[in-house]
Amino acid sequence: MARRGRQALFFLLPMLILVVAFYILPLVLTAWISFTPLTNWRVRDQLVDFVGLENYVNLYYLARYDPDFHKVLQTTLVFVVLTLFINVVGGLVLAILTYLIDERISLGYRLLWLLPRMTPLAVFGLLWYYFFYGGPQGTLNSFFLKMGIIDEPMRWGTDPAMLPYSAWAIIVFVNGLVGVSYGMIIFYSAFKNIPRELIIAARVDGAKTWEVIRHILVPIVRWHIVFVTVWQLLSLITSYTHLFVLVQWSVVDKWYGTTLALYVFNTAFFDVKNQGFAAAAAVILVIIGSILGLLTLRIMRFSQMISPPRGDI
Amino acid sequence: MVEVRLEGVTKRFGRVTAVNSVNLVFGDGEFTALLGPSGSGKSTILYLVAGIYKPSEGRIYFGDRDVTDLMPNERNIGLVFQNYALYPHMTVYDNIAFPLKLRRTPPEVIRDKVLEVAKFLHISELLDRYPAQLSGGQQQRVALARALVKEPEVLLLDEPLSNLDALLRIKIRSELKRIQKELGVTAIYVTHDQSEALAMADKVVVINRGVIQQEAPPDTIYNEPRNVFVASFIGSPPSNIFPATMDYTEEPCINLPGGTRHCVEEEYAGVLWRMKPSKVIVGFRPEHAEIVENPVDGRPVIVGEVYTVEPLGRENIVTVASEDIHLKVITPPEVRPEAGELVYVAVERGKLMLFDPQTEINLKYIAREWSQGG
Repeated sequence: MARRGRQALFFLLPMLILVVAFYILPLVLTAWISFTPLTNWRVRDQLVDFVGLENYVNLYYLARYDPDFHKVLQTTLVFVVLTLFINVVGGLVLAILTYLIDERISLGYRLLWLLPRMTPLAVFGLLWYYFFYGGPQGTLNSFFLKMGIIDEPMRWGTDPAMLPYSAWAIIVFVNGLVGVSYGMIIFYSAFKNIPRELIIAARVDGAKTWEVIRHILVPIVRWHIVFVTVWQLLSLITSYTHLFVLVQWSVVDKWYGTTLALYVFNTAFFDVKNQGFAAAAAVILVIIGSILGLLTLRIMRFSQMISPPRGDI
Repeated sequence: MVEVRLEGVTKRFGRVTAVNSVNLVFGDGEFTALLGPSGSGKSTILYLVAGIYKPSEGRIYFGDRDVTDLMPNERNIGLVFQNYALYPHMTVYDNIAFPLKLRRTPPEVIRDKVLEVAKFLHISELLDRYPAQLSGGQQQRVALARALVKEPEVLLLDEPLSNLDALLRIKIRSELKRIQKELGVTAIYVTHDQSEALAMADKVVVINRGVIQQEAPPDTIYNEPRNVFVASFIGSPPSNIFPATMDYTEEPCINLPGGTRHCVEEEYAGVLWRMKPSKVIVGFRPEHAEIVENPVDGRPVIVGEVYTVEPLGRENIVTVASEDIHLKVITPPEVRPEAGELVYVAVERGKLMLFDPQTEINLKYIAREWSQGG
């Protein structure tokens, strides 16, 4: 038994080192900082100056009374739920469509959907900056003006009359466009692994196309759906790069374009540079993420899908 | 049940013609085997009958009904695949019930039918399991149950036994035939295994390169192959086939390898006189010859040297080299000549087959066509 334990440790070691160095240590450090008044990186005098739960108490009061922070929380919820839905269901729909059509057309189609993911962030951000630009030169404005649908240019993501929905629509749209290809690729390759005979058998058994999708394709890729859902959920809770660009270039409203992850980043590195407070918010974010991740696995009955090991090491 | 008819059916995939103007009738309640090497087009014919492929030309009928343009689900067929194609995420019960659920059959009826077919195929105790928990033979029965629960008019079997081990294959073989006869369903069975085809089928259709070579009961396929392909494909080991020159001085005689001569039997003489080919293709089955020491009794005899002897317990396969031709002969276990020994291979009277060197068709069939055509 001891030998097996040592063997297991040996195989796990490389990953353990990485996890400890790049996840556990930063996490401990963040938790530490969240109990200090660290601002403007005054590490020397503030890193050991504990203030107890002050940062957490501040966070509580902010959540309770600050209207801007309310907007951030609302935005986070709407953004994560809607984008997750688009990424998983949209990815599934795209994968099914590309699976059912001719392979040559389907390849080009899938590459098209991969473009947003392959485009550098700055270029992609710039594209949407021009597209939603508030002046008459903006792509959307210029198009609608020429079509005669609007009389004067609209400030799509920032006009208070259309907030919060316009800003939310833009951030969900832009992130969905990037994220949807992930599910598409995973689901498509899963579909490709289904033996051809299975689909033929279902057809002979009398299944119409949508019945093949419902009874055969989707149930067989259930594991992949769980995987993509959890993966995308966690990455949506924690990622902020696209949102950062959109907010920074004023494509969308500052608060209705900011999720909790971006709020943590901005608080620590950009606006007020209050690292202690940002760390407290980050700790809360990690806790929320862990709970949601575990909850999703539970809901999708992950434990039932785990198969026994394929052999002894 | 129903008769299945293919009229001038051709199927092309791009530039490849997989099935070439095939006319075939699968008799009502008959068990027909489609036999051919891989790539011969036998599975394509099955998929054409199933409606998975649409013919490039020709029509397909179930009885009087033209089904050429019907989808598979509109044809009332059951299909069993080589790899069973069971739905991995469904239990055995759900697998069998699936076609009925799609037909919106009431749940009580589904239950009764599934239990009935499961009992019939002895899989009642497996209904709660998933396909991955079953052995190959069990999966095979479940696949058959799923095909039969629909009460199909036509049962299509695509090499259903190939993935089973040899012992199980022979067991299920006889069982499958019993089931088919009991239900009286029209069955089409695709296989590349000649012993399966000969053992199970009422009629065997031999196919090569998308063209039907012969369509006949198993006995006829075995005893009177229509052409060289059928003769060389059927049998284990298959027929010995070699070219020989002819001599017409008094009567048609064949110059056999090793320098002997054999003057042909009555049934071949007429056709040979009329055609007067300078060469023929000669064939005989390894089990229709024996190794003798003295060639005296007027049987066709070939002189040669023993090349190898393969003892198989029940019998030996002796390969004899004569000129540059290798002939196989099945001998009783006690006949075990030494390699290098000079021997005579005597072919049973009337078992020598002669084929036209151009068309490779059995001269017996040419003679028959002439006598029929007048």
